Amino acid sequence: MAANRYDAVVIGGGHNGLVAAAYLARAGKKVLVLERRHLVGGAAVTEEVYPGFKYSVCSYVVSLLRPEIIRELDLSAHGLDLLPLESTVTPLPNGDYLARWADHDQTRRELYRHSPSDAEAYDEFGTLMYHLAFAVKPILSMVPPDPTSLSPGDLRSLLKLTNHFRGLGEEKLYSLIKLMTMSSADYLDEWFETEALKATMSASGVIGTFLGPRSPGTAYVLLHHYMGEIDGAFRAWGFAKGGTGSVSEAIASAARGLGAEIRTEASVARVIIENGRAAGVALESGEEIRANAVVSGVDPRLTFLGLIEPDELPSEFVRAIKRFRIRGSSGKVNLALDALPNLACLPGVGPHLRGAVSISPSVEYLERAYDDAKYGGFSRHPYMDIVIPSMIDPDMAPPGKHVMSIFVQYAPYELNGGWNDVRRENFGDAVIDTLSEYMPNLKDIILHRQVLTPWDMERDFGLTEGNIFHGELSLHQLFFMRPAAPWADYHTPIKDFYQCGSGTHPGGGISGASGRLAALTMLEDM
Amino acid sequence: MSRPYDAIIVGAGHNGLTTAARLAKAGLRVLALERRDAVGGALVTEEIHPGFKVDAACHQIGVLHPGVVGDLDQALGVTPDIVRCDPVVFAPLIDGRHLLLWRDPATTTEAIATLSKSDAEKWSSFVELITKAAGLLETAYERTPPDLLSVDASDLWSLVRLGGRARRLGKREMMEVARLLTMTVAELLDEWFESDLLKGTLGATGITGMFQGPMAAGTAYMLLHNHVGTENGAVRSVDRVRGGVGVLSHALHDLARSCGVEIKTNASVTRIVVKNGRATGVVLANGDEIETKRVVSNADPRRTFLDLVDPLDLAPRFVRQVQNIKYRGACAKVNLALDTLPRFTVSDAAHLGGVVSISPSLDYLERAYDDAKYGEISREPYLEAVIPSLADSSLAPPGKHVMSILVQYAPYHLNDGTWDESKTSELADRTVKTLTQYAPDLEQIVLARQVLSPRDLETDFGLTEGNIYHGEMTLDQLFIMRPVPGWARYRTPIENLYLCGAGTHPGGGVTARPGYNAAREILKDVKRK
Repeated sequence: MAANRYDAVVIGGGHNGLVAAAYLARAGKKVLVLERRHLVGGAAVTEEVYPGFKYSVCSYVVSLLRPEIIRELDLSAHGLDLLPLESTVTPLPNGDYLARWADHDQTRRELYRHSPSDAEAYDEFGTLMYHLAFAVKPILSMVPPDPTSLSPGDLRSLLKLTNHFRGLGEEKLYSLIKLMTMSSADYLDEWFETEALKATMSASGVIGTFLGPRSPGTAYVLLHHYMGEIDGAFRAWGFAKGGTGSVSEAIASAARGLGAEIRTEASVARVIIENGRAAGVALESGEEIRANAVVSGVDPRLTFLGLIEPDELPSEFVRAIKRFRIRGSSGKVNLALDALPNLACLPGVGPHLRGAVSISPSVEYLERAYDDAKYGGFSRHPYMDIVIPSMIDPDMAPPGKHVMSIFVQYAPYELNGGWNDVRRENFGDAVIDTLSEYMPNLKDIILHRQVLTPWDMERDFGLTEGNIFHGELSLHQLFFMRPAAPWADYHTPIKDFYQCGSGTHPGGGISGASGRLAALTMLEDM
Repeated sequence: MSRPYDAIIVGAGHNGLTTAARLAKAGLRVLALERRDAVGGALVTEEIHPGFKVDAACHQIGVLHPGVVGDLDQALGVTPDIVRCDPVVFAPLIDGRHLLLWRDPATTTEAIATLSKSDAEKWSSFVELITKAAGLLETAYERTPPDLLSVDASDLWSLVRLGGRARRLGKREMMEVARLLTMTVAELLDEWFESDLLKGTLGATGITGMFQGPMAAGTAYMLLHNHVGTENGAVRSVDRVRGGVGVLSHALHDLARSCGVEIKTNASVTRIVVKNGRATGVVLANGDEIETKRVVSNADPRRTFLDLVDPLDLAPRFVRQVQNIKYRGACAKVNLALDTLPRFTVSDAAHLGGVVSISPSLDYLERAYDDAKYGEISREPYLEAVIPSLADSSLAPPGKHVMSILVQYAPYHLNDGTWDESKTSELADRTVKTLTQYAPDLEQIVLARQVLSPRDLETDFGLTEGNIYHGEMTLDQLFIMRPVPGWARYRTPIENLYLCGAGTHPGGGVTARPGYNAAREILKDVKRK
């Protein structure tokens, strides 16, 4: 009996769950990962939904993955191969375009074409963001302290934090405060004048949030996404060879190599709690698995309101989880294409097809897309971030054919009248119609289309309300308030029960940071 | 020639007068210069039609700093008579239902129960939380923001006091307050209540004067800001001055005079003289130059640093920071002389004594903002209307009334064109039309109207871009960031030049707090030298 007992069971084989398992196994713990679906990866999966075409179904770009995780788990040895994105092209309504390239001088020349002062400011801005992202980095690798606590550990942590910020110096400190509180549009207004540049940059401030570029708080998300562009290991957004699923595969392989067990099609029904301690989990099948500790990689709502009896938790905490903002705001359209799409503004095959195409002609365009969603409609003219992974990794589609991944915002989870098959297709049509304005041949080359609404993401991937970040990255849901104070340090009100998903600090994106910090916290307790 | 002034105050708004009085009381020789023909800045009561007097710009006051009230009391023996209306808010719906908020939470609870039983049950705990949070803000408002990079002993003491005050709240509530500071008012209210009318009416407090809708982060903070110091249990400060806000201006004028301040009106300062990095005097429009040991500007930061000071006397980075201050005025005023009391679809006249708030839902407010976001006047604006003549017969002939309406949103930056006569009257028409949906006879009883667009607020009162707070009260422009990062302590990069207006901590509203705090810092420097 005792031999069968695990040191830890991980609920959910998403990338954070896998990272947590790998770190626990690395420390010699007996670990079991339980995944509901037939494959691991959660929202980071590659699936052949249409024969011969591989879709990175949900998450489609990689860049935030913490370099220490790549290093410590030796993910390259487990098949992780990251390919950089070449460029971002924003087609404009007047037939022109704005491009930013991997090559610095090329970008500068292009920006200069639109605005000499923006070309100048762009470098300065990039340098500042580099420094700011650098300044924030230690926080991403830090267990959030409880600022209301007077315990020596928390105080030490707070003091360290205070000194860290003071050490930044005036300009960076104040810029950071502004980034934390401003809207991305206002922040960028202080730097640039080209509408499409501001719009495309501010778009990364709204990804995954239910906010528009003029909503305060979005500048921080801008920075959050900027981390990817600057991190030591690779300086651009990129794909994983084989699709996003291969990131998960690499982590899973590392975890297995370190001795972790992974079971798929093992759906956890509830956490077993005995004498106020987590003692294991019960599966949908009725099977019970015992463990000294349980850690959940699924989102806070599902974890605390779905897997635990409410009376096991303090009512205050339940209330805090209930009001944790999760609101999904984005959808995904994946296409199998018979040929390459042709951009009206840049006809023919070119390096731009190896990068992203961003449908974000102006801040007002994005803001109007948000307005639709505020009142419960999907955007009639949505913001879209489009990549063609098969241009970079030919294995993603049959020879001569292509896959296209379209991230779409906004699609509110709470759609007026609710989501159904008809509205899903209407949403898909709005996406294709809008995109066809910029890619005239698009409709003729579509072989297959997969449309995911927030509702689908909830059902298929267990993302509550379809939120890709397991909870909005708004100011009052960050750091020591993520998911709820004072339970931001990966512990929960139940002893031996931990959380390791994106709903904890630092949250969001394929970074693995939550999984790693949770595992380190658990190991400290063990 | 007599000895030079110890301080010249540029602009005799309520904060300028407060600073002037405090400095003079400490023995300084002070001269206050006002561009207009009367002091008080935006606190003016004007006759808009024979026999009809109305608070042209600002129509209600916040809670004055207790120190200023004390000064007034001590110097004049009287303080302006504050009208404490009750009910505080009357919020009608077109269908005839309405919401009343009273000073007494228990009475309000009953009133809310007609809309929602569950909301009514939560009301008193909500007021308690907001009051606690506002109390914490008040502690911060009494202090000069610390310098984060070089915390000195008094800063440290200040922070410790603030921390101590916060800790008294208890762990759970401390976290609640921390959340509140960064939330959107819509989120906050959605967590508590279900009635759209209640949420809209409370949400309106969070957007007043802001170029933001209720779904923008930082609007919950604005709700708290407007509640600081009040005790009316209606989450809103709505005090008025009997006789009009002009009476308060007069009182502050008399207070300053009694302390020995010289006051000159019709004296427009065109330049602050800077020599070797020090402010040494001011130049008036008529060319006169007046020497002084220090200059204190009540004008907003942009006006002070970009118009009155030669930019060459400032570091380029500082100039850029000032240029980056967001103003974006969001509201306008429409003042009406009325032949009778307007008949709202329900409610007796006594219910109209406070604020009449047209705020049926959060969505309504957000849609009003949507228009402004794209540079349009709100098709259906949020309105905050008061009928001061109900409680104060001196303001209108018998049986007649005046109505003062704050209209939001009226963006300073219009998408097409500027604030000319046709835009201004379009604004007034929309305002009256909107209000007529709730008070059907309104259109017929208007005898005269006065309209102040954001452009007029700028021209008449020197409010840059018509922003009533001397700069947006958004999270990135508060506390240590107000008016610009690193210069939140009333001092400026120019030695002997200070700021004392609403563009400094703790910001807008008729509270005299910036002026009070500025005087304290200036006197510290005087003592040091």
